[in-house]
Amino acid sequence: MTRESLLISTLVELADNLVDNFDVIDVLTILSNRCVEAIDVDAAGVLLTSPEGDLQFVASSSESIRTLELFQIQSDEGPCVDCCRSGTAIVNHALEDSYAQWPRFTPMAVAHGFRSVHCLPLRLRGRTIGTLNLFRTEQGPLSAEDVVVAQGLADVATIAIIQHRSTLDAITLNDQLSHALNSRIIIEQAKGKVSQATNCSMDEAFDRLRAHARNHNVRLTEVAEAVVAGEIESDLLDRAVPSKRR
Amino acid sequence: MPINRLIDIYEDLARREHLGTDTPSLCVVAAEFLDVSGAGIGILPSRGPMTVFCTSNHVAQDLMDLEVTLGEGPCVDACSSAGVVAEPDLRTPRGQRWISYVPQASAAGARAVFGVPVRIGAIRLGALSLFDHRAGPLTEAQSSDAYLMASVVGRAVLSVQAGAPPDSIADELLRQSTFDFTVHQAAGMVAVQGAVTVGEALARLRAHAFALNVTATALASRVIFRETVFDALSREWLETGTSTR
Repeated sequence: MTRESLLISTLVELADNLVDNFDVIDVLTILSNRCVEAIDVDAAGVLLTSPEGDLQFVASSSESIRTLELFQIQSDEGPCVDCCRSGTAIVNHALEDSYAQWPRFTPMAVAHGFRSVHCLPLRLRGRTIGTLNLFRTEQGPLSAEDVVVAQGLADVATIAIIQHRSTLDAITLNDQLSHALNSRIIIEQAKGKVSQATNCSMDEAFDRLRAHARNHNVRLTEVAEAVVAGEIESDLLDRAVPSKRR
Repeated sequence: MPINRLIDIYEDLARREHLGTDTPSLCVVAAEFLDVSGAGIGILPSRGPMTVFCTSNHVAQDLMDLEVTLGEGPCVDACSSAGVVAEPDLRTPRGQRWISYVPQASAAGARAVFGVPVRIGAIRLGALSLFDHRAGPLTEAQSSDAYLMASVVGRAVLSVQAGAPPDSIADELLRQSTFDFTVHQAAGMVAVQGAVTVGEALARLRAHAFALNVTATALASRVIFRETVFDALSREWLETGTSTR
């Protein structure tokens, strides 16, 4: 094999399941590390909600964070848990003020050397699907700039999660999209035929197709297919009058 | 490392979402990320020919229209190919493929063209079409990025579709796309005008647009506004001299 063809076949192999090959955990771990590099925090972690609504630990930049994240989940207490439930960010929370709020989490976090914590919700379609959690060993708030960058990284994490989750439904979604596209095309073609044959507007043509479908208790796509195939003559379509109620 | 490039793509998408409510189309993202002159995305439904999802500029639009009209070209081929389909120099093409497409694509402003399959595992969604003003193959980095980008595009389209009610195309997809349904409306009209099947009407519409050197969309508009009509008796296209605009 020539070098070029070896390279191409490697790329083709990689292409086969490219996004799949990159475990979402790897992606989120790298993102957690990028948080630590990009902004003034010392550790970062990501928690995700399962379909049942339980929080799961997914990734972190260091082992100590992993322990803290797991502890929050197990004790059902902590800034990340609150952030996930409320869907709002918890920013610049000084741990020295948190003993009452998180009586079990706070001493543990402090023992690990952290002094402040920030949690950003990961949101998709109005739901909180997890949190990006940032920990600092220093006192004092994150700069406004850092908060913006952190939110940006939270958005990247959300995109990564969406991308990796889409594998699960890919067959169904592809079928749905295919079907919807084909249906839409046929309906538009039927509209054109009806509009030309009965000398009405596209909107009126659409109304007639819908009325016919409703009155005969069949799907709009079926009527459209019949019109396109010439099985129903356009001027024989029902007018847009309401169907009789029983 | 490829995984870092994948995250770079996610960062690009996230940054753009933040910039405003007008999400730029996925093809604009693809063209800029891959550093090529333009890009288009074709969706291949389970039945029927390729449909153009979006294009990043006029030349990319012309090239996609050309492929749909002629039924040949890199995007069409990539819808069923294993890897990237490439023609690094349209002026000195390799082999005998795309006899009609090659000179027309070159005249439209492309010098190099590529098609990248958009798949999720074994599921084929369509293809990503790329063109450049410069001759030459994709670099190794561009090739690698192109596969990643195609992967991301496929998932992005499906994840948006996930939010849609059954039997419909997601609103967001409709907004981001340039799906052109007016061509199909016009085909319905021409089918009645010429007493032909809708399939034949579509073919005649595209062929006439091609001959006039206008887009199928532009001709469809003329048909819908009763400015152009296909005459059954003469089997010719006529200008009516009137309009319902």
